[in-house]
Amino acid sequence: MEVVSGLLSGFALALEPVNLLWCLVGVLLGTLVGILPGLGPPATIAMLLPLTFNMNPAGAIIMLAGIYYGAKYGGSTTSILLNVPGESASVVTCIDGHQLARKGRAGPALGIAAIASFIAGTVGVLGLMLVAPPLAKLALAFSSPEYFALMAFGLSMVVLLAGRSMLKALLAALLGLWIATMGTDLFSATSRFTFGQLELLSGIDFIVVAIGVFALGEVLANMEAREEAHALPVPKGVRKLLPSLQDLKDSRFAFVNGSVVGFFVGVLPGAGSTIASFLSYGLEKAVSRRREQFGSGVIEGVAAPEGANNSETGGALVPLLTLGIPGSATTAILLAALVLWGFKPGPLFIPEHPAMFWGLVASMYIGNVMLLALNLPLVPVFAQVLRLPVYVLYPVIFGVSMVGVYTVSGSMFDLTLLLVFGLLGYLMRKLDYPAAPLILGLVLGAGMERALRQSLMMSEGSLAILASRPISAVLLGFAIVILLVPLFSRINAWRLRALEPR
Amino acid sequence: MRRTPSTVKAVGCALAAFAGAFAPCHALAQEFRPTQPVQLVVHTGPGGGSDVLARALALMVERERLLPVRIQVLNKPGGAGAVAAAYLAEKKGDQHTLGLFTGVWLTTPLMSVEARITLRDLTPVARLVLEPALIAVRADSPYKSLAEFVAAARNNPGQLKQAGGSITSRDNVVRQQLQKNAEARWTFISFPGGGERIAALLGGHVQMMVIEPEEAGEHIRAGSMRVLAQVSETRLPRFPGVPTLKEAGFDVPVVPQVRGVVAPPEIPGPNVEYWESLFRRLTRTASWRKYVEDNQFQDGFQSAAEVARFYDELTDRMREILKDAGVNIVR
Amino acid sequence: MASERRMASADLWSGLAFALLGGYIVATAWDWEYLGAEGPGPGFFPLWYGIAMLALSLALVVSSLRAPWNPPLVPFQWRAVGRALSVWLALALAVAACNLLGFVVSLALLTYFIVAVMYRRRARTAAAVALALGAGFYAVFPFVLGVALPTGIFGF
Repeated sequence: MEVVSGLLSGFALALEPVNLLWCLVGVLLGTLVGILPGLGPPATIAMLLPLTFNMNPAGAIIMLAGIYYGAKYGGSTTSILLNVPGESASVVTCIDGHQLARKGRAGPALGIAAIASFIAGTVGVLGLMLVAPPLAKLALAFSSPEYFALMAFGLSMVVLLAGRSMLKALLAALLGLWIATMGTDLFSATSRFTFGQLELLSGIDFIVVAIGVFALGEVLANMEAREEAHALPVPKGVRKLLPSLQDLKDSRFAFVNGSVVGFFVGVLPGAGSTIASFLSYGLEKAVSRRREQFGSGVIEGVAAPEGANNSETGGALVPLLTLGIPGSATTAILLAALVLWGFKPGPLFIPEHPAMFWGLVASMYIGNVMLLALNLPLVPVFAQVLRLPVYVLYPVIFGVSMVGVYTVSGSMFDLTLLLVFGLLGYLMRKLDYPAAPLILGLVLGAGMERALRQSLMMSEGSLAILASRPISAVLLGFAIVILLVPLFSRINAWRLRALEPR
Repeated sequence: MRRTPSTVKAVGCALAAFAGAFAPCHALAQEFRPTQPVQLVVHTGPGGGSDVLARALALMVERERLLPVRIQVLNKPGGAGAVAAAYLAEKKGDQHTLGLFTGVWLTTPLMSVEARITLRDLTPVARLVLEPALIAVRADSPYKSLAEFVAAARNNPGQLKQAGGSITSRDNVVRQQLQKNAEARWTFISFPGGGERIAALLGGHVQMMVIEPEEAGEHIRAGSMRVLAQVSETRLPRFPGVPTLKEAGFDVPVVPQVRGVVAPPEIPGPNVEYWESLFRRLTRTASWRKYVEDNQFQDGFQSAAEVARFYDELTDRMREILKDAGVNIVR
Repeated sequence: MASERRMASADLWSGLAFALLGGYIVATAWDWEYLGAEGPGPGFFPLWYGIAMLALSLALVVSSLRAPWNPPLVPFQWRAVGRALSVWLALALAVAACNLLGFVVSLALLTYFIVAVMYRRRARTAAAVALALGAGFYAVFPFVLGVALPTGIFGF
């Protein structure tokens, strides 16, 4: 079978000592990059590119790919420990991950994140290896109407993230939509909601909002209490610091969910790992038996999104390597790197450079193993960070947040925005507005509007295009169902109450 | 930012080479010589088009020992060039800062009130390259020439679709010109990323797109795309069989996509001459020519005075075109 | 009960604030093109979510006026809020000082404030933590990673 022979030759290439070394360097760097908020894989890979000119091409690509998926492992660390999303996709991990840390279960959370990342990352590579070319053709059938339906589906998940007050969750989501609209409109070049500030012309960076609302908002809220020596309990003993068997059992479905959802969303150019993690989280919550507990520290609420953002890397490599279509900033730079060495990703890439493709695939298997071996033992070490007294931990969080935001664009304006969103996060906490819908609205808002307008341009004004195409019709159907579910349960509850004897 | 031993050696060598080889030729240049690392401001983040070019440029300048100091790339993304332009404007008189401008530095101030700094407020230094483009359709498309596509559009106004970037991008400029010239009309759908545009074309959701030669290369080779025409004055070496717009029957001026160098305001004349001659020398080196050829650019070197004139002409032309496109012009 | 009323009144105020924002969005979007020749214009989406925001916020206001809300988890305490806001103010000052004093110094000063004033530790402890943090950030970011941080009059 050609897959087997290809894989064997790939392992032969990837297991060469030099390439193994570069793989290690890549995943280590990637983990570090993932841990540090603001510094992301695109910037790192771009900066390292000139330094790789003198390396052998296979080793260089292996290293750069290692940075790409290694970052997804590291991103969960600060999300869980400090509520600071280390990487855009890790925002969803903050929701349950940090709550687990607050309950003294930071260790298991970190461990489950690593395990889920490993399983999903491996599944992603499997998918890349087995179904890449046919899946790529399928991905081409996906266009604006389908994207709109997918995003509407994602946005309908807000009702699952609602918590106590549906009204407040919806308002938070609408606020997110508003922030997403700020900037220059792509289609008409109109400046929308820029308040005369030229820095707002390109909109507000998602990570600034996420770090402000999650990290700063949380710290400010915690600072209300005067006497609190240790913010978060850290149990003693290594056994308590790793996931228990019960945790693994609870996360069974999440492992599958994360792997599958992440991979398929990754295949769609432009969708992104943040959307993948939100969808996976929402799906997990929808099918879970203890869905009301989501948001207060549920282990599968960490396993699902963490898995999704890892298998997404495998998925994103599908259109890149088989069609030459980069779906995100990171894959665009990987494309540039491949072109630099004379490998031109496209329909002829695999037939013409099988050694490179299979070598890369094999190295990703190896890299995932390396990352698991690196991250699991480090879990107890990382968990010790929480032993720091709050008066050290909180300034560290402030500092890391500011650095993270500053490295995104080097602008003081972004730091000012961070302050604004920190205050917003604090106010939302006090007034009991959930933060997750805000982030959801922000992530999906821009994409949804674009997809809708593109769709209407394609259909010359007819909304029927959304219902006439099978994939978008199905997804929109799901969205409507999800939106109506709480309505049904509310009507039901109201009915039952009306029937109660007085 | 990290200083490596090889850099120190390079600086030393460069100083010696510079003193020895170039001193007789630049009596004027001796009035200015950079003494600290030069910041080259780009308006994209790391990995963006200008960033990649800037880093390659810095590397080539170092390799060819054209400067006694290093060039460092400074990313100032945001506002489609507005942030970078504003940053340069603030660095009035700074002798060690330059900027790499592209067409958006020209169009953004035209349509955004907030983007107050135009290229005229800065000091033009040189123009470096032109970036041609191709007009492509899917390989199984019924249109074998640009004329066929335009005729079909004329007969079915608004039904054919083109995938492109923002409404002010070159993709739309070409469309506006062709539409006016041929009295045809087709829809323009904006996609923010090149990958999405290609996906839309290959998936059959749009019929045509303007694409960069580099992006198109592999798809053409694999047989999934067909090129109808090239947006260029002269034929690109790698596309000898593809007609230019004029040869395809559309006599429209080619509005080029350019990259060039600017300096902050109030820079003394000798400095401008120094930089201009530096870039002139750079564009004549073998490594630059190879870079241009590999990336399928075209050499478009112009001196400071020429680029200032070019800029004024282009601004007027873009203003017309964008107004026709329905963009709100504020300056 | 007093605490329930407080939460309900908090809903009232936040609902009104959202209503104001919704109104602003609708008013601004009104000026933009709703439906262009080729598709929805820039005003399309904002108009709709602005209307949704108005409607939902008014519903929130109404619900807060009608029924007492569920007792909040944390009752409003102005002194605690004051603490949080003063930390925010200190953070804002630190950001403002970045260009003048540099990131490292500003962070160190902020840390000193938090340790000494907010958590009432001894001046020595506060100074030690502030210095350690400043030095640590300087070592990790500009030094080891080469990440540029705002520098001020001290040069770092």
